[in-house]
Amino acid sequence: MYFEALLKKKKYQINVSKRDYVWFVQLKEEGSDEWDEFHIPYSDFEEADNIISFIFNHESYLVDVVSDGLDCQVYSRGSYRDLKIYNDEMLLHESLKSGGMGGNDSSLRAGMPGKIVKILVNEGDEVAAGKPLLVMEAMKMENEMKAPSNVKITKLHVKPGDNVESGATLISF
Amino acid sequence: MFKKVLIANRGEIAVRVIRACRDMGIPTVAVYSDVDRYSQHVLLANEAYEIGPAPSVDSYLRDDKIIAVAKKAGVDAIHPGYGFLSERAFFAKAVEAAGIAFIGPSAQNIEAMGDKLSAIKLMRKADVPTVPGSNGAVETYEDAQKVAEKIGYPIMIKASAGGGGKGMRVVHKPEDLESAFRAAKSEGLNYFKDDTVYMERFITNPKHIEIQIFGDKHGNAVHLFERECSVQRRHQKIIEESPSPSVPEAVKKKMGEVAVHAAKSIGYVGAGTFEFIFDNSTKEFFFMEMNTRLQVEHPITEMVTGFDLVKEQLSVAAGNPLSFKQEDVKQQGHAIECRICAEDPETFIPSPGLVRRFRPPSGPHVRVETYVYSGYDIPIYYDPMIAKVVTWGQTRDEAIARMKRALVEFTLTGVKSNIVLHNSILKSSKFLDGSYTTQFCEKDLKVEQPDLFKHIDDKVFLIAAAIASYKNRETKIDNSQIKIESTSRWKQVSRRHAMRY
Repeated sequence: MYFEALLKKKKYQINVSKRDYVWFVQLKEEGSDEWDEFHIPYSDFEEADNIISFIFNHESYLVDVVSDGLDCQVYSRGSYRDLKIYNDEMLLHESLKSGGMGGNDSSLRAGMPGKIVKILVNEGDEVAAGKPLLVMEAMKMENEMKAPSNVKITKLHVKPGDNVESGATLISF
Repeated sequence: MFKKVLIANRGEIAVRVIRACRDMGIPTVAVYSDVDRYSQHVLLANEAYEIGPAPSVDSYLRDDKIIAVAKKAGVDAIHPGYGFLSERAFFAKAVEAAGIAFIGPSAQNIEAMGDKLSAIKLMRKADVPTVPGSNGAVETYEDAQKVAEKIGYPIMIKASAGGGGKGMRVVHKPEDLESAFRAAKSEGLNYFKDDTVYMERFITNPKHIEIQIFGDKHGNAVHLFERECSVQRRHQKIIEESPSPSVPEAVKKKMGEVAVHAAKSIGYVGAGTFEFIFDNSTKEFFFMEMNTRLQVEHPITEMVTGFDLVKEQLSVAAGNPLSFKQEDVKQQGHAIECRICAEDPETFIPSPGLVRRFRPPSGPHVRVETYVYSGYDIPIYYDPMIAKVVTWGQTRDEAIARMKRALVEFTLTGVKSNIVLHNSILKSSKFLDGSYTTQFCEKDLKVEQPDLFKHIDDKVFLIAAAIASYKNRETKIDNSQIKIESTSRWKQVSRRHAMRY
């Protein structure tokens, strides 16, 4: 499952999956090319006494996570962090709203990992704000991604059938 | 001894007094505002009476309601705790007039020491050193200029009725005198309805050192050594220790003698504290004010002397002579107290609300005074201090090490707290070598430990949040289907083993 997190104004990409009794967690900080990988046995992340006992690199933390979906407070050892966690559903929303999270006036980016289904424009086209640019499949749903403003297509970076990672540039304006 | 005691307070101090009463076999009566129904003091006392709505002026400051409850419940003594009505002479008077003992000094004691100007005058008479200053109110700016010339810069201008940092101004050069003088006067008027100000020398390397004293109704008075309370944020103490790492033996002895002499000179009864400003360069000390009540930080004195100050308060109020003499009081080992506040540790904005998990530390020589628990909702109306962690050690280093350990053990979730601030202070070189002054938190700490949050890796929080979010998503999806989890944990374990081998 893919997440993006915002902590102390820094953005992180996080992949969480279950593999034979371990949590496989990949973490990448904005600006870094390296994914940090962690194999955390289920038994190292367990509830005890109404709090999570998290054994991380053999350090034992008692952790409490309070979340209303997006805003998240995590407490441990007298310290705490305020962070935002975007799950796939929220990222999709963001993506549809803004034409790609991280997208701007010079490019369209994938807000989450997915597969390109259809491309509706050609290089050189001038497209009005809000018109569909391409269709991407994510979370088993096809989503139209729209032009964030009036733009001229300068380059297509993908073709139908391509799998794309979150944050990948799809179209340059 | 008393038959039943009412505690005219809330929070950890009410709990502390209830415990002392229990230790002495005295039943207790709690009073509480409507939002404090589930506060620990209400749960622990033998009897409990609601006295009004949440704002203190409608409940904990209502002397009439409290005395009415005292009569109804048939108590023969009232303990005021600290804050609220504890240093109001009119309350002590009203309690005594109702035929109930006030566990504290006499109304005259409170009155004499309550006003800072009259207290300083009285102390000068008793040969207690005071900071060179105006010797009373400064009426006009012209007078202020004359006084400034006499005592020299830097100068502090203070509102007589002020406290908690309000109505205070420091002036470093003559050209700033006028604006500061007017500002202190108007703040005094705005916050305390009194624009009387006084002036004194400002000490650049100041430490806050106080002496605990105890007097009885038979003319005896003793001191229980010093506490250093220089770690402050916005003029509020946050860490205290006893003994002070800075006061030489000879000076300490002198301070104790001065305090006992002063207490005797005013016929002081009960627990009281003389607060001194201590110049860490010259090792001079000057009287600041007297607190005519039990202090928040009294536990560190209890830890190093072994006496129970609250029990002693009750005993003395009942007319008994002090249970110990000066020569019985020994300062053994070292004690530290950290005040845990539900607040943002950087902005100091209170963080009330639901405490999800509360697991206070324990173990050898760790003492926790608190009134909250898991599931408790911290109200917005009162002090953000929710707990005090006190540790003792044979040496200062040992006490500090224990405190660090205790704070790591302290689990407090759901509200922000200043535990990270304490962790940073306990790692700071100026705290560790004892040279810290009252400016430590504002100046040195910011330089030495600029990031209070660096001590735990962000990854721990990120990964925990991500796994928890994964589980949340999964539960959401699961809940949309009917699914019965039938595999027992025993079976899960054995299957896991089977897969491994």
